[in-house]
Amino acid sequence: MHEISMAKHLSDEALAAKAAEGSRASFEELVSRYSPRLFYFLRHRTETDQDIEDLVQETFLKAFKNIDRFNPEWKFSTWLYTIAVRQAISRFRSIKTAKSSLAATSSNPDPEEIVIQKEESQNIWKLANTLTKKQFEALWLHYAEDMPVKEIAKVTKKKPITVRVLLHRARLNLAKRIDRASFAENLAGTTPVEHKFSFL
Amino acid sequence: MKRRGKMFCSIYKWMISQAADSEKPIPGYVKHHTHRCDTCREFAQLCESLKPKFAQDKQVLLENYDEALDKKIITALPRESTPILDQQVVTRKLKTHRPALLPALGAAFLVLAVSISIIFLAVPRSENATSLGRISELVSAASPEGVLVKVESPLEREYMELKQTLDSTTKFLLSSLNFRIGQQAE
Repeated sequence: MHEISMAKHLSDEALAAKAAEGSRASFEELVSRYSPRLFYFLRHRTETDQDIEDLVQETFLKAFKNIDRFNPEWKFSTWLYTIAVRQAISRFRSIKTAKSSLAATSSNPDPEEIVIQKEESQNIWKLANTLTKKQFEALWLHYAEDMPVKEIAKVTKKKPITVRVLLHRARLNLAKRIDRASFAENLAGTTPVEHKFSFL
Repeated sequence: MKRRGKMFCSIYKWMISQAADSEKPIPGYVKHHTHRCDTCREFAQLCESLKPKFAQDKQVLLENYDEALDKKIITALPRESTPILDQQVVTRKLKTHRPALLPALGAAFLVLAVSISIIFLAVPRSENATSLGRISELVSAASPEGVLVKVESPLEREYMELKQTLDSTTKFLLSSLNFRIGQQAE
């Protein structure tokens, strides 16, 4: 019990070091810290919630088995997300999500889609979820995990310039979607919008 | 003129995005452009507001997460503590090395067998060496020491053979000479 309360105050890296020494409670704390984050991060790669759950579980199992290989000088989040991305690639290599195709063909959205985007714009992550898989992942790692471009490149096995381009395109596409969302809001006439980004 | 303006806008937007990546302020000349350009200004405003908005909405998103998955993951973890896992890793490493060791040993054995057989075939041996006649000759030798000498010393055998050849040659030459001498005497 004491070990569990202690674990809550430790950093991720310290918890990982303790887990490598055999502390199960430390690893359980890491699971509770990261499972929701991994769940939303991997959501873009899969089609069903069951698939995401399986993938999150596999990621933690792999991390648990290899926790002695974790170097505490690195960020734990970088290490864990790298495992998650590799697991996802090996599991869903051939599956392309329907969301990616939706994003690719969304240059002229129908009114129904505009309404959906309006609802989604209440939470910017849901709006970001309509972007391509790569753009969403870059945004998540940068804004949700506070990773600099270099670390995102390491996790996703891409060049830093590719990550920069992905982030830039994601921002441009978000701007377009917000534009549409505010347009829909104006059409509905629910609230007068003084500025396109007033909801931000 | 309009197209050129658009082209510059995409460059300015890229620079605004780069500033957002590195969390540095937008350069002065880009800022100057945003005062005149509506789309670039809106984009700069969006980039500035993204970080706090994403952080705020992340909290809302994670609050809706079903914690049942946490329990599921924790129960799925192996019961053993990680030091035991360390041993598992070591045994796994050994297991992974073993398949590499076996072919190496097999190859070494094969090379050894091939080289022995080559040596065996390459070394010249007389046909009589293993024949029954030679064995009976050895058995019928007068003294056991003599047998040992004959068996153990190939040089001795060679010497004996040369001596025999020389003897027979001498006998032949002598007989030939006698015949000629006789002819000359006549």
